[in-house]
Amino acid sequence: MNKGLPQDYLPLLIQFSLALGFVVMTIFASTYLGPRLRSKRKEDPFECGIESQGDARLPMSVKYFLIAILFVLFDVEIIFMYPWAVNFKKLGWFGFTEMLMFVGFLMAGFYYIIKKGVLNWDED
Amino acid sequence: MFESSIDRIPDVFMKVPLVNFVLLATMLFVIGIVGVLIRKNAIIIFMSIELMLNAVNMLLIAFSSYKSDPNGQIFVFFIMAVAAAEVAVGLAIIVMIFRNIKTIDISILNKLRG
Amino acid sequence: MYPIIVFSVSGLLMLFLGLSVNKKSLLPYNLLFMLVGLASNFLDWNAPGLYFNGMLEISNPIILVQWVLIFAAILVSGISSRQFDDTHAYPAEYYAIMQFALVGALIMVSFQNLLMLFVGLEILSVGLYVLTGSDKRNLRGNEAAIKYFLMGSFATGIFLFGVAMFYGATGSFDISSGNSVANNLLEGKMFFWLGMVFIFIGLLFKISAAPFHFWTADVYQGAPTVFSAFMATIVKTAVIFALFRLAAYSFNLEYENWSKFLVIIIGLSMVIGNVTAVFQTNFKRVLAFSSISQAGFMLLSLIGLGAQSYGNLGFYSLSYALATISAFGVFLVISSNTIVEGRPSENINVFDGLFSRNPDLAIILLISMLSLAGIPLTSGFWSKFFVLNDAAAKGYFWILILGVLMSAVSLYYYFNPIRASFKKTDLGKIEISSLSKYTLYVCAALTILFGIAPNILRSLF
Repeated sequence: MNKGLPQDYLPLLIQFSLALGFVVMTIFASTYLGPRLRSKRKEDPFECGIESQGDARLPMSVKYFLIAILFVLFDVEIIFMYPWAVNFKKLGWFGFTEMLMFVGFLMAGFYYIIKKGVLNWDED
Repeated sequence: MFESSIDRIPDVFMKVPLVNFVLLATMLFVIGIVGVLIRKNAIIIFMSIELMLNAVNMLLIAFSSYKSDPNGQIFVFFIMAVAAAEVAVGLAIIVMIFRNIKTIDISILNKLRG
Repeated sequence: MYPIIVFSVSGLLMLFLGLSVNKKSLLPYNLLFMLVGLASNFLDWNAPGLYFNGMLEISNPIILVQWVLIFAAILVSGISSRQFDDTHAYPAEYYAIMQFALVGALIMVSFQNLLMLFVGLEILSVGLYVLTGSDKRNLRGNEAAIKYFLMGSFATGIFLFGVAMFYGATGSFDISSGNSVANNLLEGKMFFWLGMVFIFIGLLFKISAAPFHFWTADVYQGAPTVFSAFMATIVKTAVIFALFRLAAYSFNLEYENWSKFLVIIIGLSMVIGNVTAVFQTNFKRVLAFSSISQAGFMLLSLIGLGAQSYGNLGFYSLSYALATISAFGVFLVISSNTIVEGRPSENINVFDGLFSRNPDLAIILLISMLSLAGIPLTSGFWSKFFVLNDAAAKGYFWILILGVLMSAVSLYYYFNPIRASFKKTDLGKIEISSLSKYTLYVCAALTILFGIAPNILRSLF
């Protein structure tokens, strides 16, 4: 058994460098080979319409932030479904009811969020 | 619980000695601690704490693999879920402070004195 | 086990009640839920064993400690009446978070697996980070919240590193597995020691023992007073019992190694807590530093690990909770009646002339201060007596002398508010809501009762 020797990872390294090389090559190729016009107007973020002003990093509404936080919370809870999914058959109905309870608690939280009006975009 | 899947992991992992994992995790952990102690920006301190938690996660997974015991990995799940909840609360606190004082540099927070 | 389920569900119910019920009627609901939780604990009585796949242990002493926790939460809710009446308060959420935090505390006193300890600790702490910052427009509250949050998660990180090392040494998260490495090789032993040290440091952060105490005063001062009371009693009780379980079940074979360091931490807590408190003018900071020194006394029962020390610790926790909650309760009433510069005054001179303004409150304050200082005929005396007795039995006489000496120092700052309350004043009477009045009466009465007959409580454990 010579599994796991350093040289066994050579194909992986080759694939990795190929992928990296392709990305770098396309970026450079499109910059230097493609036709290009250079002028002040052309370099603007928006070519037509009103002139852009201010910084691109505008303070965001706190609503986006709330949505992002809620997404992270509910997203991470999915992690507990992986062990259940792997052992789905072995755990049977017991696992199913437990998971139902877990999802029930999550949904109760979700219902509270909706009732509280956090997901309403129109208000104020 | 995970007998069938966990049996195959160790002989791949055994090529790297356990002590390497422990050293790497300890280094990451110490970087996190130093970050918490010397930085002033609340977000950076926060990131350092996350680094500490992730160092612990790696340590748990390394031990879990070497001992062929899935409990460590389940613990990591819990750490990740709880860390997400902590992130939510922590960021909410930081946003609350930012709304009041327009900065997140914690060194100007010195209202509480004896 | 049942209160955990009750409070998980009732916390959710509380959130939904907040959407439909008006603010003032939320407190009775909260008290009702807590009484249901208190009663549901009877179902576990005399049914010792491991529950939830060996994750939680239930036995009669543990149930008693859970009663102490729930009872303290009821008292804290009692003193919170009329505190959340203004428009910017969200009492439904506060009470719900208090119930969830209580779930964490209940798990922490009954865990059998380190996973449960971690989950309980985090449920408790994350809830309290929110409660600390619940007064959103108060800059001090904000500062306290971020300090508490950063220090708390830092401590959690350290604690988790210890847990990982413990796992590396024993291959299990069960707390009884700590004994399996007693005769191990040096390498496993090293992981075990590292784990032990880091777990201890993480939890000592949470209990605010001396070298890890620097956040305490700021957080107690900045947090809304009701939640300072919650932090001072329930968090401290839960964490000290978690430490006790670890010390008794996982690390008991290493007693010789950790007790030497712990006794130094205890000495430092007593000295720093009591000496710094003397120089404070803010009453919440006084109580914060007093809580640091009380944490030192509580840790003494870990040093005197023996058959009686669990009961002694339970007695200490209850008498400390009674005294602290009544101190915070009296202070809460007076300070919300004394507005200085648009905010409730927290200076120690709010107590000026309390005896003529409301004699009942002055006497309750007197009892609670005497109990905190450890004067005979109050429960505080017996609690200190028991833990010091335990430590002396193990041969740590110098800590006994230091403890008595520091109690003498503490008399100075505990007598400040009492002296102030007997000053002459021309300020008017103080009104107090009947619920908080009866809560304070109960605290004072129990303090005296356990001071005269400590064995009523102690024989239960």
